Amino acid sequence: MIAHTLFAYIFVAMILFSIGLLGVISRKNIFVIYMSIELMLNAINLMFVALSHYHHDMGGQVMAMMVIAIAAAEAGVFLSLIVVLYRRKKSLDSDLFRTLSQKEVA
Amino acid sequence: MSLLLALIVLIPLLSSVLIGFLYLYSITQKRLATLWFTIPALLAPCASFVLGVVSFVYVAKGDIPLHFQPYLWLGVGGHNIYMGFLGDKLSLFMVLFITFVGWLIHLYATSYMREDEGYGKFFFYFNLFLSSMLLLVLADGPLIMFIGWEGVGLCSYLLISFYFLDNSNVVAGNKAFIVNRIGDLGFLIGLAILFFYCGEAGFDYASIADKVASMPVWLLQVVGVALFIGAMGKSAQIPLYVWLPDAMAGPTPVSALIHAATMVTAGVYMVARFSFLYELIPHVGLFIAYIGAFSALFAAVIATKQSDIKKILAYSTMSQLGYMFIAVGLGAYSSALFHVFTHAFFKALLFMGAGAVIIALHHEQNIFKMGGMKRVTPVVYITMLMATLAISGIPPFAGFFSKDEILLTAFARGEYLIWGIAVCSAVLTAYYMFRLFFVVFEGKNALHVNHPHDVSWVMKAPLVVLAFGSLFAGFMGLPSLLGGSHLIGTWLGEWGSRALHVSHETEWMLLGLNIAVSLLGIGIAYKKFRFYDLSKHKEATQGIVYNKFYVDELYNLLFVRSIQKLSEFIAVNLDVNLVDRFIMGLSHGFIKLGNVVGVVQNANVRFYALIMMLGISAASCYLIFTLG
Amino acid sequence: MMDILFLLLSSFAILGAVGMVSFHQPVHSALSLILTIMALAGLFALLSASFLFMVQIIIYAGAILTLFIFIIMFLNVKEANLPKEPNKAMTLFLGSLALLPLNFLILRAFYKMPLHVNPVASDFGKIKPLGMELFTHWLLPFELISILLLVALIGAVVLGRKDEA
Repeated sequence: MIAHTLFAYIFVAMILFSIGLLGVISRKNIFVIYMSIELMLNAINLMFVALSHYHHDMGGQVMAMMVIAIAAAEAGVFLSLIVVLYRRKKSLDSDLFRTLSQKEVA
Repeated sequence: MSLLLALIVLIPLLSSVLIGFLYLYSITQKRLATLWFTIPALLAPCASFVLGVVSFVYVAKGDIPLHFQPYLWLGVGGHNIYMGFLGDKLSLFMVLFITFVGWLIHLYATSYMREDEGYGKFFFYFNLFLSSMLLLVLADGPLIMFIGWEGVGLCSYLLISFYFLDNSNVVAGNKAFIVNRIGDLGFLIGLAILFFYCGEAGFDYASIADKVASMPVWLLQVVGVALFIGAMGKSAQIPLYVWLPDAMAGPTPVSALIHAATMVTAGVYMVARFSFLYELIPHVGLFIAYIGAFSALFAAVIATKQSDIKKILAYSTMSQLGYMFIAVGLGAYSSALFHVFTHAFFKALLFMGAGAVIIALHHEQNIFKMGGMKRVTPVVYITMLMATLAISGIPPFAGFFSKDEILLTAFARGEYLIWGIAVCSAVLTAYYMFRLFFVVFEGKNALHVNHPHDVSWVMKAPLVVLAFGSLFAGFMGLPSLLGGSHLIGTWLGEWGSRALHVSHETEWMLLGLNIAVSLLGIGIAYKKFRFYDLSKHKEATQGIVYNKFYVDELYNLLFVRSIQKLSEFIAVNLDVNLVDRFIMGLSHGFIKLGNVVGVVQNANVRFYALIMMLGISAASCYLIFTLG
Repeated sequence: MMDILFLLLSSFAILGAVGMVSFHQPVHSALSLILTIMALAGLFALLSASFLFMVQIIIYAGAILTLFIFIIMFLNVKEANLPKEPNKAMTLFLGSLALLPLNFLILRAFYKMPLHVNPVASDFGKIKPLGMELFTHWLLPFELISILLLVALIGAVVLGRKDEA
């Protein structure tokens, strides 16, 4: 039964992680970038839980809970940032924020 | 005792430094009277002369040379070169007449340069020159001699371009230095080869003499020729003579001291010093003798048509130097040095007399604008007459004995071509010298434009002293033929020539022949110039002889212009196109490379994340392949 | 039975993820992500993590993503504000190719592990054992997380202030 195999869960988790990583890199929309980060965190959660089930260790689930808490904190900060940036540039294009570059320094 | 040798060199050096400081003070702070400069300037050669006499007497008594090595100068990996002074018979002989004649010329110069702004500067250079020349002569090894060699070259340059505000004088100074340098290159090559082979046990003459016999002959010939090239430059022989006539641009005391009595004889001294080397390579010696012979004839021919008094004397110096090289080339070192000795007296006298005439006529140098000077400056007239007789080889004046000895050597060795050339040169020498004499001193005063006046006794006294020298110096080398004991020959016995195998009859014949050809030259000059009407004189500006056989122009074409063209080409083309482009290309290339690589730093964070992801992929690929 | 559940939940998760990454409008992406979250919660349940299943739905889907959609609507995002992304598909495809080696590497490592799993204890993943675990072995991280949340709270407030004119 594949549901009882570790490999299946890991397989799903890896696919989700890869899709999340792709989203961070490929999309310009800030919201989509953030959601891809959240997706990556979820994939990792799945891996933690699968491995905790495999090793009979509760620590994995505890860890997954920590991750969720962190994701929540991050969501708060991240969204405030998006609001601030949106007020600045009136656009959701992440390529517009380039003040690290020398030419943009006013 | 041997410390005296160092003092002989040091005293003029310190005096020149003192004069230099006084001069700087004089031009920046407060003007000093000329007496401040005169006293150190005159004391130094006098002191050196006195010390020289003391050393001479000491060596004469003890018959052991003085040798002084104060310290190690260069210690390079096992080769040790000491700063050393050698006072043997040869060097002390040279020191004596260098300091004596030098002192007289210093005295003369105090009057000649009296009104010049750069009086102090002049004596700074002059004393420096004397010090360098003494170092050259008293050195105990060729490298120390080379210090003096370079020093005299430097001072020659400084003094020739003394009147530096006139560009042509500076050019003449440059020419002297550059041509000398070419000679020095040859000298250095010779020294380098010698050092390579003989340097282990120390680099003084004695050590080299020990080792020289072990070198292969062809290499010795190379060294001999190379060293002689240095002598060619210093002593103005063909082909490196072109600087000497131009060097007359300097003040007359300079010409008298440097280009008559001392510096130009450095080459002869050097060959005599290296006699242990030249003994082993007689073919090179013959080459040297031929160069000397041709230089003598060449210079004599050119001098017959010159009209500048100093240039005539310059060419006569070159000619007499040719005689000296004939002698050293044929191995008769003591004869050559005897001629150096007598030549110092009468040539210095001739130059100083010429200077007196020039001053008397307010800096006029063309002999055809002079005339009848015997009424204006009778002392100069008589002393110049004695010097001219000396150089023409009329007994009992000095030049006769020395010249006769050289010609005898040439004849006895079977070098009839050299002997013939030398005899022709002797005729021409007598001719052009008396041409000069008659035109300047006899006849009517050509142009009364400048009121000629007599010169001061300070300038005349050295002339008188040297005139005595020209008369009696010859008796130092009176040959046994005439009942003398040839003092110089015995003194320089180590460097003496091998015994000549000629019969007494031949000697007498040659002696008579010499007198005859000299009288012939004087006779022709008398006929042409004794009653020369200077107002009817037409300047000859044409003619190959007048233009010194166009040698200067030839050198200019061959060497100077080609180097100038090459320099221009390099400066305008190569430097700009090749070198500048290369360097700027390099820097621009780096800037462009930086710009290209700088695309990566575009402040787009997503782009950075992409690169990170690609890095992870690459790492994973690598791990897949290595972990199998 | 469990296999079918597993396959269904997995496919929904992956489908949602793909949709999230592909949609142009952010609201559509957010809704796809909610689908994925729900599917993941189901997968947690399959793995005997019952508490986590509830936490996932309540906190993640119910709080975080709700906040997300709220912000999207608050900002009044119009078409003009959205960036133009012409090469989206090609980039995604190439990126997926680039990520194949990493996946291959990790999955191959996991593939070699033994397949079957022993049955777990009966109260594995329930709230009481989880709490025991949390407050004994994981006390320090727990406290630190609360401080983190406090910091994030303050940070969000500070960032959200309007600039004084």
